[in-house]
Amino acid sequence: MTFSLARPSTIVEALRLLADDTEGPTAPLAGGTDLLLDLDDGRSTARRLVSLDKLPWKTLAWDGPRLNVGATLPLARLGSDATVRARLPGLSEGVDAVGSLALRHRATLGGNLGRAAPASDLLPILLAVDATVRLVGTAGRRELPVARFLRGSRQVDLAKDELIESVSIPEARLSTYVWQRVRPANDVSQVGVAVARSGSSASWRLALGGVLPVPTRIPEAEVHLTEERPRPEDVELAANAAATHARFVTDKRASEAYRRRLVATLVRRAVARAQIPPGER
Amino acid sequence: MTSEVALTVNGAAPRRLAVPDSERLLDTLRWRLGLKGTKEGCRTGDCGACTVLVDGETTLSCLTLTHEVQDRAVTTVEGIAEDPEGRRVLAAFAAEDALQCGYCTPGFVVSLTGIRKELGASAPDSAVIEALQGNLCRCTGYLAIVRAVARIGNGNP
Repeated sequence: MTFSLARPSTIVEALRLLADDTEGPTAPLAGGTDLLLDLDDGRSTARRLVSLDKLPWKTLAWDGPRLNVGATLPLARLGSDATVRARLPGLSEGVDAVGSLALRHRATLGGNLGRAAPASDLLPILLAVDATVRLVGTAGRRELPVARFLRGSRQVDLAKDELIESVSIPEARLSTYVWQRVRPANDVSQVGVAVARSGSSASWRLALGGVLPVPTRIPEAEVHLTEERPRPEDVELAANAAATHARFVTDKRASEAYRRRLVATLVRRAVARAQIPPGER
Repeated sequence: MTSEVALTVNGAAPRRLAVPDSERLLDTLRWRLGLKGTKEGCRTGDCGACTVLVDGETTLSCLTLTHEVQDRAVTTVEGIAEDPEGRRVLAAFAAEDALQCGYCTPGFVVSLTGIRKELGASAPDSAVIEALQGNLCRCTGYLAIVRAVARIGNGNP
């Protein structure tokens, strides 16, 4: 499908273009690795794209114990950062899981959040570390936890004249993301499991991908993971709770029943892996 | 809508072209510039046959709008021999007969060149091969490609 493309240089101009529907439905374009496919097969009806390429958001910086990732930073640059791999290993592992290196040179964290795919490899870890999304719009700036930003399958709390500006992610040295696929390379995960334990939380947080309607935390599993090194019987309870309480989809990649069994295994694997230092995994 | 874009391809002086806003770099390269070395495989970002370098980084030209590479340097397989790393890759592919039907080969050659530049000459073969996972060979001729990677790793292309 054909569309027109605007490439604004300022945030103000980008927001003005997004609010203006006179040329037809308008959508923001980050890396385009998901949106362009939707345009090709008609799942997106956008007739004008507003490219975020020239906005000053390809940034990566630690602010004390929090990592700020600009919305349009290519995932490859996030994945190759040694400080991120040491201080937020689960995030690096989520990035490694996305497509191929060439795809990660274009795909972005902001795009992954904004598209809110059920099988996203990045949303589980953002939920498990309790990341915050920072938005900028014509009405001003606001920020909210990723858990509240995600409203449903491919639905997010983002106004028409609003953009994701950055993501603020707390350090979590005890974190990991594990996944299962039909083929390890270049495939979409059947299920992904992220676990993390950060300073402020009293227990491990656990979030699943490949579930309905969108990646989500499973509090019923987290209650069993209060200890820094959970006992095997508690891990078992958490694994069973995750398999019981999540809503799974049956699709071409896996049946609901298979996903349910997979989740229990991946939860056991994730809790064990998260306790291994990043360099030794 | 169609508007003008300045494209810098394979080190030549920037060339101004009128290109529809929604056109992919893959189509501009093949059909406007006649650079047919860049192949269309899946057109969904899964196979890597359309890989080019944009400012030296491997990029899927099927998922990149032409207007988004304005002011950036594009390298296709036709220009890869201008790069010392590209020449090493070409020599290793030739020495190992690392192709069967050849359709995926331009993508592999460009990808491997970009990966070697990005990971550095001392990167272990295993890391290079892992980074090559985005390139598929439907003939499944992977063993010779892996041998080509090892040949470069040994400094003996």
